[in-house]
Amino acid sequence: MNKRLRNALKGITAPDVERRRRAMEPFVRATFGIFSRYLYRYLGNEVECEDVLEDVYADIWENPERLRNITNEKQLLRTVYLYYMRKRLREVYRRINRNLYLSQSNLKNLIAPEISALEMVSRSELEQNLRQALSKLKARERRAIELWMEGASNRAIANELKTTVGAVKMLEYRTMLKLRKMLCYYNRED
Amino acid sequence: MREEETMSESNREIHELLVDYAGALRDGCIPAFLKSLTREEAERIASSWEFWDATEVSRILNGVGFADKAVAPNVSLFISRVDAEIASRLKKAKASPHGKRPRRFASQKRSSGGARSVTKRENRTEKSI
Repeated sequence: MNKRLRNALKGITAPDVERRRRAMEPFVRATFGIFSRYLYRYLGNEVECEDVLEDVYADIWENPERLRNITNEKQLLRTVYLYYMRKRLREVYRRINRNLYLSQSNLKNLIAPEISALEMVSRSELEQNLRQALSKLKARERRAIELWMEGASNRAIANELKTTVGAVKMLEYRTMLKLRKMLCYYNRED
Repeated sequence: MREEETMSESNREIHELLVDYAGALRDGCIPAFLKSLTREEAERIASSWEFWDATEVSRILNGVGFADKAVAPNVSLFISRVDAEIASRLKKAKASPHGKRPRRFASQKRSSGGARSVTKRENRTEKSI
């Protein structure tokens, strides 16, 4: 953990309310990037990310007990996700679940699931492993995922691969399952 | 019978549902995806472990591919929003002293063992004297 984040954490866990409030600024500066990137995985929307994070930071200020013995960045992210972020994420999606067919428990699993070892890996490590896994795929599978990650629509991917939209959807689904198998050793380590 | 067939045809298969979920996550329109689910599709999702496995990968691809977009260029503006939220919570806490209290006050109250009622009684006796 870098010095900046360590100092920010020290201030944020102080017993004095006003001191905690002053410590919020360096804490937000040190963690905003990490938390918003993580939240984006679940929300896919930067406006929602900021709204949720606003409440998360205020919750941390109000009750910072859980952050007292944090020693590294991974532990910080895990603790913040489990005790502050997940609750807020679930609130966001509970609001829109009134007339849905999906059960509440399935909605929870879809939106804010239990944290897995794979999702706890640092971004650089994840990128490296994903690149390795992508290089092991067939050219067509790799191209479909790369195009998807560039933001292309299924129609555009189908045009590029000279196939139908339905075939592209099936290809993406199978490739994702294949990637899941390639990356599953993280879960075994867990 | 024919109606049932057409209904089942209109429901998306599990691979289509996964791709639609991943697309919604990427484009930031998960609510639209959730609202588009029919009862049969929701049941299909609930019973498919492959779907749940693939959602994990789609979240990771989303994180690696697009998460940088989520980092706002102006963190100072966001910090002022957080500070305003904290200020409003402080104001609320001050406005309702019987509402949420810090734990130490609660424990002090508990450890005093009904001291408040004793002082009340004392006050009453003082008045009567």
